[in-house]
Amino acid sequence: MFLTLKAFYWESVKIFSKLRTYIGFITIAILIPMIMLLVRKYGFDVQSTAFRSLENSFFFVGTLINGLLISYYLMNVLWVHFPFFIVLVAGDVMAGEGAAGTFRMLLTRPISRFQVVTSKFLATFLYTAAIVLFLGICSVGVGILVIGGGDLFVFDKGILILVQREALFRFLLAYILAVWVQTTVAALAFLFSTISNNSVGPIIGTYAVIVVSLVLSVLRIDALESIKPYLFTSYFEVYFAPFSDPIPWHEILSDVIHLGAFILIFYLISVVIFMRKDICT
Amino acid sequence: MILKTNNLSKRFKHRLVVSDLNLEVEKGQIFGFLGPNGAGKSTTIRMLLSLIAPTSGNFELFGGDWKTQDKKVYSKVGALVEAPDFYLYLSAERNLKILGELNGWISRNRIYEVLDIVRLKDRARDKVKSFSHGMRQRLGIAQAIMCKPELIILDEPTSGLDPEGIKEIRNLIVSLSKDLECTVFLSSHLLHEIEQVCTHMGIIDHGKLIVQGEVQKLLRETDFFVTEVSTDKPQKALDLLQSEPWVKKVALSDEILKVHLSAECRPKLAECLIRNKIRVSSIIPRTSLEDYYLSLVKRESEK
Repeated sequence: MFLTLKAFYWESVKIFSKLRTYIGFITIAILIPMIMLLVRKYGFDVQSTAFRSLENSFFFVGTLINGLLISYYLMNVLWVHFPFFIVLVAGDVMAGEGAAGTFRMLLTRPISRFQVVTSKFLATFLYTAAIVLFLGICSVGVGILVIGGGDLFVFDKGILILVQREALFRFLLAYILAVWVQTTVAALAFLFSTISNNSVGPIIGTYAVIVVSLVLSVLRIDALESIKPYLFTSYFEVYFAPFSDPIPWHEILSDVIHLGAFILIFYLISVVIFMRKDICT
Repeated sequence: MILKTNNLSKRFKHRLVVSDLNLEVEKGQIFGFLGPNGAGKSTTIRMLLSLIAPTSGNFELFGGDWKTQDKKVYSKVGALVEAPDFYLYLSAERNLKILGELNGWISRNRIYEVLDIVRLKDRARDKVKSFSHGMRQRLGIAQAIMCKPELIILDEPTSGLDPEGIKEIRNLIVSLSKDLECTVFLSSHLLHEIEQVCTHMGIIDHGKLIVQGEVQKLLRETDFFVTEVSTDKPQKALDLLQSEPWVKKVALSDEILKVHLSAECRPKLAECLIRNKIRVSSIIPRTSLEDYYLSLVKRESEK
């Protein structure tokens, strides 16, 4: 156990010593303030476009636009765009060592393959959690700083108005769930990374699976209903669940368990493959 | 017995790379594992280090079977397999720290000590990506010895080194064996390297072990102790030596006499030539492992 923790520490050091690890952080650090500044300048136009359909039923006074609302909408990037930053690193964790030939050094040490793969998986989770929470902090924090705070209006099956304090709690919950969702993506990329000896394959492979699964998840065709429970993307929207009233805890718990099962399956397959793998590179 | 393989074999799809290999390496030996490229040396080493699983057969490290033995046994093993690949984006010191920590614990002093041995102390904080191939090779040696192993497995350790570096590494291998009582398993395709460094050797070709034993004994059992002699009258010297009973065999090639005789008869050789007014420019004793090796490999391929 102690050796696994030690290996986890060094795997984390390795991940955070690579330049590619910071591509996501840098992109978020540049893009989020830019979006917030643009919204601050052109926010009213966005509002009129976004709420045009509601103007027949409601009479708006002032603005609904604030940092929290923009942050809420920015969470949509977590579907397709954000996983790129996850697979970029997770896809390289195992395959990168294979390609570089460093497994030869690592695996001749008195550490078991199970410990190696577990420590790498934990380090991948650490990165995933760090970048998702960074997005959350950046998005909500910069949003409030640049555009300002206030009540959050959520338009989903009606209008839900959350006071800032409550909205911040919901964001915290949403981003914790987003960590779990993105960990599923990371676990899949990790699995492909275990099979491959270069990191391009896992990145493309994971993305292909995500896109195909997402398409199948959102298509409303009866024939597809039976396979949807087996698609991990069917549980992706769990991070929007905290913005319902009341919070659907049972649904959230169910989705978290389902995603956990996918993570566990991807991890166990990775372990089995890696333990049987011949290190020939 | 430090290392023993029992009918160790490895098959990649339809290609048998290592076939029924039976090696025995005892404590304190510098065992040379010799063979041409593609003979199965690296595959054997990878099996011994658990990087690949044998198709059949087994091996024992420090008396324990590899299937049942704890991975902790590798804390007593230092290894360098083929090219020394490190984390290029990390410094030499950090690379050694990571690998050393997985062995249990490694002090900063010890890291600098081994870096000093391989002449990389002043580059300790530089990223490995700035290192030349030779420097990486030396760093590979450093990581193999840093945890004071009882068995060192080196796969082509002098590959890519300059002559000075090669000499240093060879001296280091010998001193590790002598001073620290390390057992060394050295794979190489360089015959003279095995000849200069190793006490014992095994020759592998096409995945099969052709011969193994003590280097000098194997050579003594053959005709390949050769003394090369340059004289001003090579033909006269040839005729003279052919008639001497203590000369096993003599031949003339490119004006150089190649004399097969025991080491203790060499003074007699010089004396005989001078007595017969033949001027001697040089007498160079050679143990030709190359000839021995080639004869074995040729014999195997003819089978």
